Amino acid sequence: MKEKDSIVDCPQQQVILYVEKDDGNYGPVQTGSYMTGNFLDDYELKRKHLEESLRKKIEAKEVSPVYYYMVLEDLSLSELSARARIRKGKVKKHLEYEGFQKIDKESLEKYADVFNASADQIMSLLTGSVQGKEESRPE
Amino acid sequence: MSKTPYIHKMAAHCESGAVTSLLNNQGLSITEPQVFGISSGIFFGYFHKMKAFTFPTFIVRNKPGQMRKKVASRLGIRFHTEKFSSPEAGEKRLDELIAQGIPVAVQVDFFYMDYLPEWERVHINVHFIVIVGKEGTKYLVSDGYFPNLVNLEASSLRKARFAGGSMSPKGFLFYPEHIPNDIRYEKAIIKGIRQACFYMLKIPIPFLGVKGIRKMAKRIPDWPKYARDTEHLSHEIMKINVLLEDQGTGGAGFRFMYATFLQQAAGILKMPELTELSKQMMLIGDKWRELSLFAARIGKNRDLGPERLKELSALLMQRADDEERFFKELSRTIKNKK
Repeated sequence: MKEKDSIVDCPQQQVILYVEKDDGNYGPVQTGSYMTGNFLDDYELKRKHLEESLRKKIEAKEVSPVYYYMVLEDLSLSELSARARIRKGKVKKHLEYEGFQKIDKESLEKYADVFNASADQIMSLLTGSVQGKEESRPE
Repeated sequence: MSKTPYIHKMAAHCESGAVTSLLNNQGLSITEPQVFGISSGIFFGYFHKMKAFTFPTFIVRNKPGQMRKKVASRLGIRFHTEKFSSPEAGEKRLDELIAQGIPVAVQVDFFYMDYLPEWERVHINVHFIVIVGKEGTKYLVSDGYFPNLVNLEASSLRKARFAGGSMSPKGFLFYPEHIPNDIRYEKAIIKGIRQACFYMLKIPIPFLGVKGIRKMAKRIPDWPKYARDTEHLSHEIMKINVLLEDQGTGGAGFRFMYATFLQQAAGILKMPELTELSKQMMLIGDKWRELSLFAARIGKNRDLGPERLKELSALLMQRADDEERFFKELSRTIKNKK
């Protein structure tokens, strides 16, 4: 790749690319990320849709807040279980809305650590969904 | 407060960048492409189904940790390494080393590097950064993916160093302990090239090396089966571009960096044939980049029908053919070199 073809204007994410310089030598150049520079809006749109669809699933009591974070953070069941140090069978229960209702404080804290969120943030997804339900109830 | 004078430089890749940066700061003049090439960093692996991943994926470099290990064994460098059973012990040891003025590389889960934008951060336990100081509750970090030295809260670093799961870091840290005065690069370069050729052509595992590229080409038309919906498929297809171009590869899945290594190797070994091969590798890199731009475009347009995926598959097959030819020629070129 020629140096002139590597230039992307994207101050939010800088990368190093190896390119052919004008003198024919290959070397590093600091430039912007092509994906972030061109497609960040598309990523954010998909992320927003995914968050919305997961919130709706919580509202419909199909999944739990643990499932919400697991999908958003692209973790497999095995990976989440290993990271939270909670056995897989128990994690499976916590992914379900009903199973999550019986979650203990210690497990919740472990998930919060993995997801880099507070226990309150995780629980608020549930509260938010309950409030949402109540608001939509006819008088 | 403790702070070691440290020259920070951005790098193409975190591991080759951290190793290069530590060695450069100890006075050894070595480039990132040399670290990459000597350690046989160039690679390909396709993982259609693994418990740790939610979707089929691929890698374009050798196993994490190998760059440090191979550079050490091939150049006679000794790195001090440690792992820890408890976060407290790991943090205490890191603080001691920094207080002694020793910059230390640590293995971390990339997700907790909260100085990076959110869209970049994913759970992957094999990111490498160099800790160069500490002030209060904040560590001073040299991360090859960030333009400047940056602060990271001790609580975030602790989570990142002791994250569980696949390839868990267990607080792993390393720093150079001994660098020989007279390093002979020639043999190390040849060994690095030979092993890279073996990895790409002869490794007897059907999803690694050139065989891995072909495996991915064959399986990519199946990807829609594993996606939740079109947007998920679009995300995964566009991730091909991210993995090839954005996530610390120096562009085109490390192929541009390998071309640079071969050009530098040609000078050190006085082998003009390698200059010619470096040009070929640069062209192969351009073709990988065409593939990654194609993936980004069809993903963005949600143009992900069977015909488009077959086109993507055909592009991958061509890359496999190119690399098979290239590494055979590279292997022949280096065969009788001692």
